[in-house]
Amino acid sequence: MSTKAEIFSKLAIRTEAVKPKRMVFVIRPEDLRKVFEELIKAFGPESFYLSTIVGVDLPAENRMRLDYYIHLVPEGETVVIRTFIDRSNPVIDSIIDIIPGALAGESETFDLLGIVFKGNPYLKRGFFVPVDLVQKGIHPLRKDSGV
Amino acid sequence: MTRPKLIELVLKNLFSKPATVQFPYQKTDVEPDYRGVQYADLTKCIGCSLCAIECPADAIKMIKIPSGYEGVNKLNKNMIYPLIDYGKCVYCYRCVKVCPVNAFITTNKYDIAGPSKPTSEELSLSTLKKVG
Amino acid sequence: MAITKIVEVPLVIAEIPIGPQHPALHEPLLLKVYADGEEVVKVEVNTGYNHRGIEKLCEKNTYIKDLFIIGRVCGICNAVHTDCYVRALEYLLGLEPSPRAKYLRVLTMELERIHSHMLVNATMAEVIGFDSLFMQIMLDREKAMKAKEILTGNRVMADYIIVGGVRRDIDDAKKEKIKDLLLKLRPRVEYYKKVFEEDETIVKRLVDVGRLKPVDVTLHSLVGPVARASGVRTDARAEDKYDAYSEIPFNVVTRKEGDSWARMMVRWDEVLESINISLYILDHLPSDGNAVPDEKRLPRIFPAGDSYARVEAPRGELTYYVMSDGRSTNPYRVKIRTPSFNNIINSAFMYIGHSLADVPVILTSLDPCISCMERVTVVDLKNNTRYRVTVRELASGKV
Repeated sequence: MSTKAEIFSKLAIRTEAVKPKRMVFVIRPEDLRKVFEELIKAFGPESFYLSTIVGVDLPAENRMRLDYYIHLVPEGETVVIRTFIDRSNPVIDSIIDIIPGALAGESETFDLLGIVFKGNPYLKRGFFVPVDLVQKGIHPLRKDSGV
Repeated sequence: MTRPKLIELVLKNLFSKPATVQFPYQKTDVEPDYRGVQYADLTKCIGCSLCAIECPADAIKMIKIPSGYEGVNKLNKNMIYPLIDYGKCVYCYRCVKVCPVNAFITTNKYDIAGPSKPTSEELSLSTLKKVG
Repeated sequence: MAITKIVEVPLVIAEIPIGPQHPALHEPLLLKVYADGEEVVKVEVNTGYNHRGIEKLCEKNTYIKDLFIIGRVCGICNAVHTDCYVRALEYLLGLEPSPRAKYLRVLTMELERIHSHMLVNATMAEVIGFDSLFMQIMLDREKAMKAKEILTGNRVMADYIIVGGVRRDIDDAKKEKIKDLLLKLRPRVEYYKKVFEEDETIVKRLVDVGRLKPVDVTLHSLVGPVARASGVRTDARAEDKYDAYSEIPFNVVTRKEGDSWARMMVRWDEVLESINISLYILDHLPSDGNAVPDEKRLPRIFPAGDSYARVEAPRGELTYYVMSDGRSTNPYRVKIRTPSFNNIINSAFMYIGHSLADVPVILTSLDPCISCMERVTVVDLKNNTRYRVTVRELASGKV
């Protein structure tokens, strides 16, 4: 737990918790790739995996929230890395060259919420959403999409 | 497999009956508390519409009890009863469990396929006595 | 001999769409396989044929109605989906069900694991061409379905778990019937495991196909028996110790080889473990507390916050994220990440270098969540003809 806390608290702005008792580390969106590179250096690529990427649309605060859930295999714990990005221009770096397992999560978040992951060559619009919605340019999970 | 074992297996399979159940002629073996068709007992229903509000599939509509039946519960002021559309129903039994007076009768009937749309109308109205 | 003529032979790479009808999980999948002769060089994964918009639908219905919608996301894993969602809601509320309810929930989930693993092994036998083994396994699987019907009221769709406990209780006569069925099932499963170990056809088709190293597994986020067959020891039952798993002794099954054969053997071992867990539960069911909560008094408005629950579905690690804003009767965000989502979409790298006949074997060993494979259309670019090929012909290498 000591090395984990060092890595995360170096870059974290603040910490919260998601029930039940899972640690959340809030970071700036620019530091995202650094966090993953540090994780691979400290733990080795075999001892953790990226479990899921959750995107939440918060129109009231005018931003979108992205959570990266990382599961550490030896301890059996899940930690959360949380960033906030601006709703009018949702762009963030992609981590697909460091962790190729992010392909599924990033493609789905792009298609449903409209967050662009820079550097991911596989993003396309018809990944999940049916064709008639794609033609109208709607991202269904946004709160103002009218679906 | 050596030869003696194969002969034993062949003889065993030759003389035992096949495992298929010839469905329309033989009935399959269903438990008595299988979640099958359910309908409202109109002598107990009070017309509160909770089942229609809570149904996840929106399969229940409240319609008026037609005239010519007696035995309706006195508390049912609006004279409405739940009509279940068995095509939309998912048999989750949320209506059965949320009814405040436990007015639903459950069966283990599962074969409802037929030429016309099945609803619970006849089953529910059969709990009342027809008059006139 | 002098070179008299130089002939240029164009290299033809055929694009073979393994079409939307047949494979995968919750959505029919289009696998575009680019094959050079018999060898696969690239695979592209296209999805989107069966997207039902469940996450958006959950935002429009109340929490309890969502419970029944969630149970119908997947037919084979419906009990684990409901259990994960209910546990996420219980974390929000801070509620703990009674011990008897916890044991009954585990019993449902283990019965489901038994019948799901038998189904995928039967599908693997059918893909290889071993149809009589497929029929035999399905016949014995009926015992597990009957046990589930006795317990929950329906063979497939359990609808059994609800906030605060379970919906029906179990008495002694039912316990004896379930125990009887499980004891009859166990020697048959041991026999099938022996068949998979010793039969020559199965061993030749499955060993060394789709080998995965542990570092590939974690970098590509593959979960479940796929990960455990490569030596990565991760199991949500042993780590989170949710419901009653903290009190039930069981083993986490891992293997070192990492190929398709190891994946199927991990599943047979897990079936044996599940039978042992179920028998343990039936013997040690605690009789304190009422397992069935009063369904007329379920909470309508949940406190604000978010929670994240994980469960070990038969196919891997299933996670639910529920966020509520504390004011409305509908959840603000529900996110479902099913194991097949990671396993199928991220696994396009596994097919490269294998022949075309190995593609169905690898796909079935990853356990897509739909148990029926349809026809494959082969487009021959040279002659510009199309002809339909059944999966059996493809699997036997006649194409």
